[in-house]
Amino acid sequence: MSREKQRLKKKMIFAAVCAAILVIIAVFSGVIAPNDPYATNATLIRKPPSAEFIFGTDNMGRCVFSRVLIGARTTIAATFFLVAISFVIGTLIGMLCGYYGGVVDDILMRFADLMLAFPQMVVAIAVAGMLGGGLFGALLALGVTAWTSFARLARSHTLSIKNEPYITVARLSGKKGAYIILHHILPNIVEPVLVNALTQIGTTMIGISGLSFLGLGVVAPQAEWGSMISEGRAYIQIAPWTVLFPAAATVITIIVFNYLGDVVMEYKNE
Amino acid sequence: MTGRITKRIAELLVLLIVLSILTFLLMYLAPGDPAQKRLSSQGVAVTKEMLDAERERMGLARPFFVRYGEWAWGVIRGDFGLSLKDDMPVAPKLREGLSNTIVLASASLILSLVFAIPLGILSAVKKNSIFDHTVRILSFIGNSLPNFLISVILMYFFCIWLDLFPIIASGSIQGLFLPALSLAIPMCARFTRQIRAEIQKELERDYVTGLRARGVKESDVLIKNVLYNCMGHIFTIIALQIGTLMGGSVVIETIFRWPGIGKLVMDSITARDYPVIMGFVLIMGTIYVAVNLLSDIICQVIDPRVENE
Amino acid sequence: MKKTLALLLACTMTFGLFGCGGNNASTQSASSDEGTAAETEAPAEVETSEDSGDNILRTAASFAYPSLDVHKEYYGWYTSIYGISESLFKFDENSTVVPCLAKEAVADGILWTITLNDGVKFSDGDPLTAEMVVKNIQRVAEENGRFDIYKDFTYETPDDKTIVIDTGTDVYPTLKGDLASPEFGMIDLDDTTDFDNNPICTGPFVIKEFVPEGDVTVSKNENYWGGDVKLDGAVFYYMQEDDPKLLAMQSGEIDCYNSVSSAALEVYNAEPDKYVVESVPGTRLQFYILNENRLDDAVREAINLTVDKDAIAAYLEGTVSPAHAPYPDSTAYAKVTIPATDPAKAASVLEAAGYAKNGEGIYEKDGKPVKINIAYYAARSLDTLALLIQEQLKAVGIDSELTCEEDPDATYIATADFDLALYCMISDKCGDPLYFIDSTLADGAYYNVGGFKSDECQKMIEELRVETDSAKRAELANKIIQIAIDDNAFGYVGLFNHTTVLKPGVSGFAEKMSFDFYGIDANTTK
Repeated sequence: MSREKQRLKKKMIFAAVCAAILVIIAVFSGVIAPNDPYATNATLIRKPPSAEFIFGTDNMGRCVFSRVLIGARTTIAATFFLVAISFVIGTLIGMLCGYYGGVVDDILMRFADLMLAFPQMVVAIAVAGMLGGGLFGALLALGVTAWTSFARLARSHTLSIKNEPYITVARLSGKKGAYIILHHILPNIVEPVLVNALTQIGTTMIGISGLSFLGLGVVAPQAEWGSMISEGRAYIQIAPWTVLFPAAATVITIIVFNYLGDVVMEYKNE
Repeated sequence: MTGRITKRIAELLVLLIVLSILTFLLMYLAPGDPAQKRLSSQGVAVTKEMLDAERERMGLARPFFVRYGEWAWGVIRGDFGLSLKDDMPVAPKLREGLSNTIVLASASLILSLVFAIPLGILSAVKKNSIFDHTVRILSFIGNSLPNFLISVILMYFFCIWLDLFPIIASGSIQGLFLPALSLAIPMCARFTRQIRAEIQKELERDYVTGLRARGVKESDVLIKNVLYNCMGHIFTIIALQIGTLMGGSVVIETIFRWPGIGKLVMDSITARDYPVIMGFVLIMGTIYVAVNLLSDIICQVIDPRVENE
Repeated sequence: MKKTLALLLACTMTFGLFGCGGNNASTQSASSDEGTAAETEAPAEVETSEDSGDNILRTAASFAYPSLDVHKEYYGWYTSIYGISESLFKFDENSTVVPCLAKEAVADGILWTITLNDGVKFSDGDPLTAEMVVKNIQRVAEENGRFDIYKDFTYETPDDKTIVIDTGTDVYPTLKGDLASPEFGMIDLDDTTDFDNNPICTGPFVIKEFVPEGDVTVSKNENYWGGDVKLDGAVFYYMQEDDPKLLAMQSGEIDCYNSVSSAALEVYNAEPDKYVVESVPGTRLQFYILNENRLDDAVREAINLTVDKDAIAAYLEGTVSPAHAPYPDSTAYAKVTIPATDPAKAASVLEAAGYAKNGEGIYEKDGKPVKINIAYYAARSLDTLALLIQEQLKAVGIDSELTCEEDPDATYIATADFDLALYCMISDKCGDPLYFIDSTLADGAYYNVGGFKSDECQKMIEELRVETDSAKRAELANKIIQIAIDDNAFGYVGLFNHTTVLKPGVSGFAEKMSFDFYGIDANTTK
C-alpha cells in the first residue's frame, strides 16, 4: 500500500467517523433533544441563545436546538431513503439495459431522458396537490431524476463487463439472465455505483432543503432544516439564530457527506 | 452526422409528445381549478354560479382529451394559447421569461467560468501546492452550499451591511449582479473541481511523460496537448449545466424578483395555468435535447477520436 | 515560468469561451426582442438616490397584474391603488359609503336614482356624463363574472347628471356599495384606445409607464376634477416577498408600503423615530368551519371554548386582531356575543355529554378517543393557526391531526372531508354584511360545507337580501351571525390588520382604511 493510499485511508476513516456521528445524532435526536421540539410557548418567542436554549428559540417559542436535532433525522432519513431507492431502481434498470441491450435499452434510456427533461417543480406541486403535500411529494419530485445517474453508471459498467469470459461461461452453461445479472454482474459493478450513491447524498440534501425552503417539502410543524431557514429568514435581522443554526447544520452535514464521497472516490481511483 | 441529427429530431418529437401528455395529465389530476383561483385571487369568495359560468367560458368543463387535443392542435399551428390566469397570450410570456433567464444564466455562466477555468487549470498544474489546497477547499465548500442560502446571505451582506447595491434594481446591471453571483458560486466551485480533475487526469497520461521526456516545451505540452485534449470534456461539463440553468432557478428568481421562466412557471403552477406550464415543458424538452446534441457535436468536432455510440 | 504560462493559458481559454458564450446569448435574445426591449427599458426607471428631492412617492405593491383594464378581474383594485381610477362612491375610514364621482344614490323600491357630482371630468378633459356611467356599468357586467347581475338591470338617463337603475323584480339593496367597489371605476370609453395599458380615467394620477406584471409609474393628472394633486407622481415597485420590502424600506428606497409582515413590524417598532406604523383592523378574516356532520354539539362547543384567539393574535404579533365577530369591531353589524375562552368550561361541557378522559389525557366516549382532523393551507398564517389550535385542543384533552392542502377550494372545501377547516377570506368587500353571510351561512353557499342549516337563519337571509335600511340590515346580520355562533358552526379567529409603514412626513397612503384597494390619492404627501 502506497503512502498516498495510506493517507487517503486515514482521511476516509476520519470522514466516515464524522458521517457516523451525524447519523448517530440523527437517530438518537429524540433522546438528545433537551426540549420538546414542537412545544410552542408565547412567553419565549425569539429568545436569544441561553443556557436553557443554547440555540435560542424561534418565532413560536420553540427550542431551535431541539428542532435542529430532530430536523437532522428528517433530513438525513429522507436523503438516505431517496438515495437508497434511486440506487436500487437505477442500478436494476441500468443492468437490464446494459445486459439485454436492444429495444429494452432504447426504451428505458429514452425514458431516463424524459425524466431528466421533466421539470421537478411541476412534479412536486402536482404530487403535493394530489397526495396532500408533505415530504413524499418532494422526494418523488427529486426521485424522478435521481435514479437516472445510477442507471447510466450501472449500464456503462455492465456493458464493459458483459463480454468477460466468466459471464459468457455462465450464459453458455444455461444460466438465466436474471441469475447472471444478480450473481455475476451486480457484485462486479456494485462498488462504483455505491460510490456514486455516496456522492449523491450531498446533492440530494441540497435538493430536499431547497424544496422545503420553497414550502414544497415537509408540512408544518415537522422540523426540517430547509423549512426552518425559510421560516426564520424573515426574522434574520432581529433573531439571526433562527436561521444561523439550521443553516450551519445543513452546510456542515452536506460538507461531511460530500467529503466522504470525495475521499472514497479518490481512494478507489488511487 | 446528418443521420444522427435527424434521429435526434425524431426522438425530440416523441419526447415532447409524451412529456406534454404526462404534464397535462398531472395538472389535470392535481386538485385545483384555474377558474376558482382566478375569481378569488384577492380572497373574495365566489358563488357556484359564477364558478360554473367561468369554467364554461374558460373551456374547463370539457373532457381531458378534447382539451389536450385542442391545445396540441394549437401548438402545431404555432399557437401556444391564452393564459388561464389573465387571458394574455402565452407565447410572449414565455419569451420574456426565457429571455430574462438567458440573461441571468449567461451572466452567471460567464462569471463562474472567469474564475473556474484559470483556477481549475492552475490548481491542476500546481497539484498539492498551497494554492491547490486553498482552491480545493474553497471549491469544495462552495459546492456544498445550497444556493438559497447563498442568496439570503449575499442579499443581507451586500444590500444592508455594505449598502453597495439597491434592493430595487430589476433589469439593471446592479440587479443582475447578486442573482448571478448566487448562481455562480456553487457552479464555479463545481466547474473548478471538474476542470481540475480533467486536466490532472490528462497530465498523468503516459504521452505527457513521453512528451516531457522528449524535451517538448512545457507550454506546448499544456496548450497543444493537454488542454486541447480536455476541451471536449470541459465543453460537455458546461453544456450539461446550461440545461439546468435554462430551467431558471425558482429560488434565486423569487428572492431577487428576477422575472425569469422559473418564477413564471412556479406562479403558473400555483394558478393551475396549464397552457403556460405546457409551453414551459416543451421549451425545456427542446433545450434539453438540443444541449445534448450540441455537446455531442462539439465533442466530435474538437476531438474526432470520439466515436459514434 | 510555469505559473505565468498557465495563467496566460487560462486567460486565453476563458476568452475563447467568452466569445462563444457571448454570441450564444446575443443571438438567443435577439430572437426574443420583445422581452429584451422591456428589459432594457427598465433600468431607466431605477432611481436609487436615498433622499431624492423630487416629489415622487415610491412604494411597493405585492401584486402586479398584466393589464390596467379597470373593469376586468381585480385589475380595478390596482388602478384604484395607483390613483388612476375612481368609482361613483368610495369608502371612508369607517367603511361607510361616501360620495365620490356621484353625489348621492337614493333607493325607492327597485329604482335607484344616482346623481353625479358637478365638474367631474376625465384626465383628457372630457366630462363624465350619465350616459358614460351607464356604458361603464354595462361594460363591467359584460367583462366581469362577479358582476353578472348588472346585465339584468335596466338603465335610464333622464338628464346628463342623473342615472336611474331599475333592478327588475327584486330589490337590490347593496347597489351603492357595489358601485363603490374599485371594479366600477369609470373609464372614458369613447377615447380610451388601449384599455390594457392606458385607460383614461378620472383619478388624480395618470399612467406614465406600465410594465405588465411589473413596476408601475404614474404622474400627476393636471386636469384632476377634484382640485390640486399634491404629489408629482408615484412609482409602485412590484415586490411579492416580505423581505425585499423590509430591506428597501430600511435602505430608504421606498417611502411606504402596506401589508407589513410581523417580522418587519418588529423591526419598525424598534425604531419609532425612523418609521411611522399605522394599523387598523382590516376585512380579511381567518376563521374555521366545524363539521356538524362529524362532530357532535358538545365537541364543537368545547372546541370553540378552547381556541384562544387572543393567544393566537399574540403569536401573530400585530398583524392580526382577535375577531369578536366576522367583521371589524367598528361596524354596526359586528354586535354579536361570542362566549369567552374557557378551557375549564370546555372540559365540563364534554364531561356533561358523556366524555371521559382516558389514560393519555384525551377525552373519549364509547371507547373512541376524540381525534379531529384539522385541514388548512399554508398561507395567511393559517399554518401557525393550525399549529396553535392543535396545541390548545390537546391541552384540554382533544387530540387532532393536521392535514395541509395546497388548494383548499379543490380539496377539503369541495369534499367536506374535515372536522375543522381553516380558511381565510375577505368578510366585507363593500361595507355590508350580506356578502359574507351569503358565502358561508346561506343554504347551498360555497363555504357552507360543514352542515350548518337553520330555517330561521335562512329566512332572515332572504329578508336581508331585500332590506334597504342599513340599520335594519345590521340588526338582521347580527341575529343571523349569532345563530351560527350559538350553533358552534364556525369559529372566527382573527381579522388581519391593515398595517402601513411610512417614512415620517409621508401620509395619505390609505393607512386608515380597512380595505385593501386604496393607495395614493390627491392628498397623499411626501
